Amino acid sequence: MNKIRKQYLPFARAGIQTLIAYRMNFLGFVIGGLIYCFVMYYLWKAVFLSSGGSTFMGFSMTDMVLYLFLSNMTSQLTFSSVSTDIGEEIRDGSIVMRMIKPVNTDMSYLFTELGGAFMKLIVFGLPVILGLETYRFAVSGTVMFDPLNFLLYFVSASLAYLISFRVNLCFGFVAFYVKNLWGIGILKNSIIGFLSGTLIPLAFMPDILRIILEYMPFASMSYTPVMLYMGKYEPTEILLRISLQLVWAVLIYGLSKLIWAGAVKRLSVQGG
Amino acid sequence: MRRFFRIYRILAAQNLKRVMEYKADFLTGAVSFLIDQAVGIAFIFIIFSQIPQLSGFTFEQIVFIYGFSQIPKGLDHLLADNLWCVGYFIVRKGDFDKYLTRPINPLFHVIAETFQVDAIGELVVGISLMIYVSGSVNLYITPLSVILFLIAIPFAALIYTAIKIATAALAFWIKSSGFVIQMVYGMNEFAKYPTTIYSLPVRLLVTYIIPFAFAGYYPALYILTGNDPLFNIGGTVLISLIFMAIATFIWHKGLSAYESAGS
Repeated sequence: MNKIRKQYLPFARAGIQTLIAYRMNFLGFVIGGLIYCFVMYYLWKAVFLSSGGSTFMGFSMTDMVLYLFLSNMTSQLTFSSVSTDIGEEIRDGSIVMRMIKPVNTDMSYLFTELGGAFMKLIVFGLPVILGLETYRFAVSGTVMFDPLNFLLYFVSASLAYLISFRVNLCFGFVAFYVKNLWGIGILKNSIIGFLSGTLIPLAFMPDILRIILEYMPFASMSYTPVMLYMGKYEPTEILLRISLQLVWAVLIYGLSKLIWAGAVKRLSVQGG
Repeated sequence: MRRFFRIYRILAAQNLKRVMEYKADFLTGAVSFLIDQAVGIAFIFIIFSQIPQLSGFTFEQIVFIYGFSQIPKGLDHLLADNLWCVGYFIVRKGDFDKYLTRPINPLFHVIAETFQVDAIGELVVGISLMIYVSGSVNLYITPLSVILFLIAIPFAALIYTAIKIATAALAFWIKSSGFVIQMVYGMNEFAKYPTTIYSLPVRLLVTYIIPFAFAGYYPALYILTGNDPLFNIGGTVLISLIFMAIATFIWHKGLSAYESAGS
């Protein structure tokens, strides 16, 4: 344990420092995300008005606001730039500097990312939750905050983080084969955005599609924690969803190891 | 003027050669933007599976507006993509010096340098969507309206470019302005839907301050209804010229404040 702390904590610290150094970029993404949430907010408001009812497929407008901001925040928190980072390092060859160090390559990435994620949680996650709870209080007149749901959210979001990290790692390995990292990034974001329910709650999708997507790893990356926070699941379903996340975390871990083992043989670094 | 065209042709040809060299990359890029669009459409589709119309617009009309909004966006993406790089790293790494040492206008050179074929994804989707629903929406088609509509397209694209020039130019002072471009550019989301769904402050914002509504909704509304050409089309032309003037002004101010950076 002590060894891990000594070996990997510097990576986490470096992650925090990188985020602070590039805080303006981070701020840009946060504000960009919020703008997007507001566009969606107005769109959903119009949808609610046009549908005439006070709920839309089991969601009230308050639910919808909660869902929009929470899922956007969760996907920002679990967002991992490891796919572009590793891609860049593969391309310019600096990945060898990681490989010759006496540390586990993907663990070093993980800890760098964790440092950044910790900062995001403090400066972005908590204020959003505070804002949402204030909003819910203002709308309903009672305190809606549920500590148990929050705890479940935290556990589930941590699992989501690990899954997202590994999925991104797998996308990063594509850089061994394709050079258009920008395109891969867009592809990855739109696929994950849709399949993880960030764009539209999976609950709104046609039944067959919904059931398939709920069992895919993408739902584990933001949909599950958000639904837990909102208290949308029964106790048995809570267990099912969290175990499913665990299963995916293990499977994706295995997959990323497999791809790495295969891809590293192709690694050829030009120059230095 | 002819010189500019000749230089542009040479630079674009260089770009196309690069694309042919890395075919897989081009395919990845185009397919990525295509899928990104497909997801956007799926979203509208799922919403409309539950409601017959949105703020008085039918499914087909919303798809038409959405499709149209992708065309100016795609044109700007195709022709002026390099501005992102100016904001993100060209200035920060000191690579901007290159443009200053050449005997052509630096702004023109930056823009002409990249011909971003990934944009085909947006253009193809936009045009196909408009064609797909054109049978089921009542378009206001007269010779004049078609001409006005076509005139609006390049000006609408110019709104995107102007906003990118103005925000990229901030890098001349603050070294890296990628995040500002990202933030402001992100507001183009507003252009995809009727502005009537927004509250008044937001509507004023996307109409006059960051005028993406003129780069999507308003021109599309004109061809859908034939209403108010002076505002819907004239506004697009006027706003884009005003913003282009402001943007080039900021760019030139920035150029004179530029100090080389990097090692």
